[in-house]
This record gives sequence, C-alpha cells and structure tokens, in this order.
Amino acid sequence: MRSSSAFDVTLDGLRIRYPDRDRPALDGVTETIAAGETVVITGASGCGKSTLCRAIGGFVPELIPADVEGEILIGKDSVWTTDSARIAQRVGYVQQDADAQICTLRVEREVAFGPENLCLPRGEIDRRVDEGLSAVGIEHLRNRETTELSGGEKQRLAIASILAMQPQVLLLDEPTANLDPEGARSLFDLLRRLRTERGTTLVIVEHRLCPVLGLEPRFLVLDRGRLVGRHAGEHIAPRAVGTTPTNGERTLRSERLLSVERLSFAYDAPLLSDLTFEVRRGEIVGVIGPNGGGKTTLLRLIAGLAEPDRGRIDRESDALGFAFQHPHHQIFERTVRGELLIDGPERDAGEIEDWLEEGRLGGLGGVPPLSLSLGEQRRLTLVATVRRRPDLLLLDEPFIGQDVRNVAWIVSRIRAHCDAGGAAIVVTHDIPLLRTLADRLLFVDHESILGSPSDVFDRLRAAGRDAFHPEAWGAGG
Amino acid sequence: MSSHATDRGLRSATPLTNLIVLGGLVGVAIASPSLAVRGAALAGVLGLAAWSGVRARTFLRRLRFVILFAVVLFVAQALSIREGVPWIDRGVHITDIGLLAGAAMALRFLVILASSFLFVSVVDPDRLAGAFIRWGVPYRYGYLLILSLRFVPFFQRELQIVREAQTVRGIRPSIRSVRGIRRAIRYTFVPVLVSGLMRVESIALSMNGRCFGLHRRRTAPRAERVHAADIVVLGWIGILVGLSIVAARGGWI
Repeated sequence: MRSSSAFDVTLDGLRIRYPDRDRPALDGVTETIAAGETVVITGASGCGKSTLCRAIGGFVPELIPADVEGEILIGKDSVWTTDSARIAQRVGYVQQDADAQICTLRVEREVAFGPENLCLPRGEIDRRVDEGLSAVGIEHLRNRETTELSGGEKQRLAIASILAMQPQVLLLDEPTANLDPEGARSLFDLLRRLRTERGTTLVIVEHRLCPVLGLEPRFLVLDRGRLVGRHAGEHIAPRAVGTTPTNGERTLRSERLLSVERLSFAYDAPLLSDLTFEVRRGEIVGVIGPNGGGKTTLLRLIAGLAEPDRGRIDRESDALGFAFQHPHHQIFERTVRGELLIDGPERDAGEIEDWLEEGRLGGLGGVPPLSLSLGEQRRLTLVATVRRRPDLLLLDEPFIGQDVRNVAWIVSRIRAHCDAGGAAIVVTHDIPLLRTLADRLLFVDHESILGSPSDVFDRLRAAGRDAFHPEAWGAGG
Repeated sequence: MSSHATDRGLRSATPLTNLIVLGGLVGVAIASPSLAVRGAALAGVLGLAAWSGVRARTFLRRLRFVILFAVVLFVAQALSIREGVPWIDRGVHITDIGLLAGAAMALRFLVILASSFLFVSVVDPDRLAGAFIRWGVPYRYGYLLILSLRFVPFFQRELQIVREAQTVRGIRPSIRSVRGIRRAIRYTFVPVLVSGLMRVESIALSMNGRCFGLHRRRTAPRAERVHAADIVVLGWIGILVGLSIVAARGGWI
C-alpha cells in the first residue's frame, strides 16, 4: 500500500564540502529514491553516507555549515529553501549516536516531544507514544529516566521518537550499530511493516548488509563522496556482504592471563551474578548479550575502573589496553599524529606514519582527530591501544562504523596480538563475525553462558534466543 | 505528564506544591525568630526526604559540606559573641546568647540548603518545565530548563569517562607546574567540552528534526492531578508558617 502523500527524494548533482576539509564529502551525487522504496547506502568508512542522510534531512547547511551545490528535492520542495523543521514533517532522521539525540529526561516525554511540536491533540499524542514504544519493544521503559538507559535502549528510544512523527521518509544512520541481535531483528521486522503497511520510504546507512537483505532493498554504493554503484539486493549480496575471515590454525597457550571468580556487580538492580571464567594467553573471548546486560560493565571491572560487589578479578599482567565504545572519550590531542605520540613507545615520525597507514588512516596525521568519521576515530583509538603492546586487549564494540575491509584489518590485528602471546576480550553484537573470530564465547545476561561459540549458540537457540545464532543473520552454522 | 504510580511523598505532589513548600521553608528559615520552629522545619525536611524515597545516605552525602559549614558557622558565632550569660569562660568565652545565635544561624543555613537539595531531588524537571509552560512561560524557555538539566548528568558522566580513559592510557594529569596544568586542562576539560559541543549539535539536529519551533505554540503538557500528598504537605507548611508568625508576634525563641 503506497501512501497517497508519498514523496520521491531527488538528488541532482549534489556536492557538499565541509569548511575544514579539502575534499568534498559528497561529489556530484545524482539519484532518485522513489516513494515507498527501500534504499541501503553503503561504502567505506568516511565515504559520505552520514552526510547524505543529513543533507536529505535538511540539516546541511542550515545547521551544519558547508558549501553546497546541486539540488535535493523532497517531492517538489527544495531542502535548501525549506525550513528544516518543515522538512522534518516528512523526513525523520535517526542519528548514528542515539544517545546524543535524546533531549528530554523521561522516556515517555521523549516520544511525545515531536508530536507535541506538531500541535497534535493529547489523545493522538498518547496513541502515538503507545504505538512508538510498542513498535520497538520498550513499553516497560515508559517511566524510566532517559539517562538510566543502556546504549541499545537509547537507540530504540530514538527510533520510537522518530516513528511517533510518522514521517513518509525515514533515514536511519547505522540503526543496528548498538542494538543486540534480538533488538536488531525486531527493528527489521518493524521496518518491513512500515514499508508494507504505510508505504514509508526507507533510507538506511548500513555496513552489515546481510541483515538488510530481508528488506529487499536497492543498494547505493558511495566511494569518497561519489555514487559509484547501484545494485539490486540479489546482485550485491555475494560481493559486498563479505565473508567473515576464519580463525585458521591458532595456538592457545596454557598460561593464564586473567581469572574472574564468582564476580557479582549491581547498580540499582543486579547486573552480573556469580560470573567465573579464565582467559589464557593466545585466546580471543567474545562477549555477547542483550542491551544493558552488563557487557561494558564487565570490561570496566576487568580494567579496574569499577569495583566488584563480590568475587575477585586477578590479572597476571598490568599491561592492559582498553578501547572504549565511544572513541571520542579517548581522544586528547590536537592532531591524529599527536594522539599516537602521547604514550606510545615510538617517537620516530616514520613509525607513526606506518601505524597510521596500517590503521587505514594514512594521510590524516595532521588532521584534528575529532573531525574524523566515527569509524576513523574508532580505528585511531584502536591503533593507539594496540601499539602500546598490552598483554590483555579489551575492545568494546570495535566493529561499529567499519566497512568490510576495516573489519578484516581489525580482526587481523586482534589475531596478531593473540598469536604474539596476548589475549583479547571483544564485546560485539556482530554474531556472525564472532562465530569464527572467538575461541570462546561468554553470553552475559541474568545468567551467563560460557563455552565454544558453537556450544553457546546452540544453547541460546535451545533457550529460545535464536536471534543470537549466526544462522539468524545469514551465516551458516 | 504527571507523577508515576511508584512515586510517593513530594515526588507525587505537583510542581506547584513543591514550589510552595520550598518557598515556605525558605521563608520560615529567614523570617522566623524561633529556634523551635526552625528545628521543626529542618526535621520536616528530613522527614519529607524519607517519605519521598530519597535515600538518607545520598541526601546526607550531598549535604556533607553544608553540614560542615553549618558547624563552622555555629562555632564562629558562639566564639565571637561576648554578650549574655557566660557558659564557658576559661580560655574561650562562650555565652548563652552566642550559642543561641550560632544555633539560629546554623539552622537557617541548613534549612535553606537542605530544602533546596530536597526540591532538586524530588521534582522532575520535565514536570516543572511543563508547569511553567502551562503558567504561560514560552515553551522555548521551558525547554531551556530541561536541556540545562539534561546536561548536568551528561557532564558528570563524561568527566568520569574521560578520567577513566586517562587511567587506561596511563595519563596522570598533574597541576604542580604550568605545563602540567595546561596538560590537565587539555586532557580533561577539552574532551569534555568537545563532547558537550558535539552533544549540542546533535540535540539541535534532533530538536529541529522533530519540528521544534515550527509553530508558535505546541500541545500543552497534561495538567497535573492533585494527590493526597499535596494536601498533606500544604497543610504542614501552612501550620509551620502559621507557627512562625505566632512566634514572631509572641517573641518566642
């Protein structure tokens, strides 16, 4: 069913250049996205995907200064000459960092915020709040404070608050990046319903292409700001979805690096309970679990940034590297190069450039780190972490915002680190990747499960949590 | 927008009731000459905090510097006033008037600060802003309040995370030299500030992206319902203010 008030989105010779960059973020993009169509925008990190979303949403250059050329039409209206708040009545934009877009203090108020701005009657607002919350499965959080939510819960809230606006065009910038597999699956179910029942046009920025294939989208491929490919789903799948690198022959050593014994921790409610495991040198332990289940807290406890309520954590080495979930917290210097000079062992400029090249950040040494894309910032903090040669590497969602090649690089770095006698604990929602990357998996929820990846996946499936099984995401068993 | 089923005490009362209670307590602390009335006001604040589900430990931790300063005020007053009947006159000179004046000053200070802390602890800023909007304050100013309060926990959390990030990278900012201070500022405040600016940009996009400011008016928040808690605390504050007036007229101490 196509909505009678549906709009085509037309891009004509779109060129956008930010003031602090020489190269345009988008360069001559021409495309028409038909009303009711589902389009996935993909491409390497920093290729202009988020900029495209922000431009269609009417935020560039009104709120984000940039030089713009060309045209964007929503229906017949140019976004350059239409107030962005008016564009917002037709186009909803879910940002990459969901936490940053929450502007009220209670979940219910956040969802009601948009409809209230539209001056809708109170009864209609209540109906939309109910619908938005139930669509993303967070009715139970209705009265919670927004500051108390986990990353995934905030992402669901951000989506619910946009859904309550009932936009005809929905822009989603990496919507599953912080969602657990169950949340991601229910989101895609929801998007499918929006498309078929309301005729909503969906424009999704996504690196992980397997999960979106079920939406039967058309793919637009960007490369350094240029639109270099248009593909139907069945054509892009074998090439761009990518295959997960296998773990190959790896040697685990018997020497213990970390011992966690009967660990318990609670905030207001119990989070981790009686958790016991060891990590040996050479080992890669993957940590999975639902949003708010305690994965990041576990890493913080291991790093000594929080104290357990009960139990003990023994580290055989203090050489520990921890790459946080949000990279900007770990960026201190004015330039990318300066960032690597803070605490690394090398002082030679050549070695620094080698590290930047390896982290696929070549040529960005003199750039302010905070002007990098999220994916680039994440690789920078990863490089800064691994070059200190820690024994134990703690990585919190290292694959968010990374394209297939960058994922392969990060995987190779983790393996090289462990092959050299270190160990790594990797928190991620990328289940298919963990199937081949991890030696052991730890599922963290009210009850934890520890074992080989296949064992843990099978036990989760038997417990009815098959969204945590790789087959649910198109990866064979 | 209203209180929730799990809310109790002042948390379930309307923002207007909370404002009246705050105003009444501050008025009593400033105007009442009676130590007994001020003491009753302080006991009332502590009782209301417990009734409203504010943890005693949290409340006292927040007030620890206030309590310490109140003690300092008490001692300073007691030591500095010479008039009155001496209670201690060996080395230090402490009189009954000095003790009463010290107690009055300390109680006034404690009641004002404790009632303000209680107000901040129990009043939902969303509901308060909603109340302002219903009373005719332009909604943009109402949301200014909410956004300001949204940034308080944000900055607290960011500061903690940045410190943790410094810890895991082995950065130990020192303020023992000019260079150290500059480094500490750059490595602590700059990341927090940058986070704040990024957050401001994202929130601006988010608000604009949900039509904030599109119309001169927006749907008014739902009117607050009056609960039993409103009647109880308004009754109590009325009695306290009444006692305060009687005490002032009767010259009670």
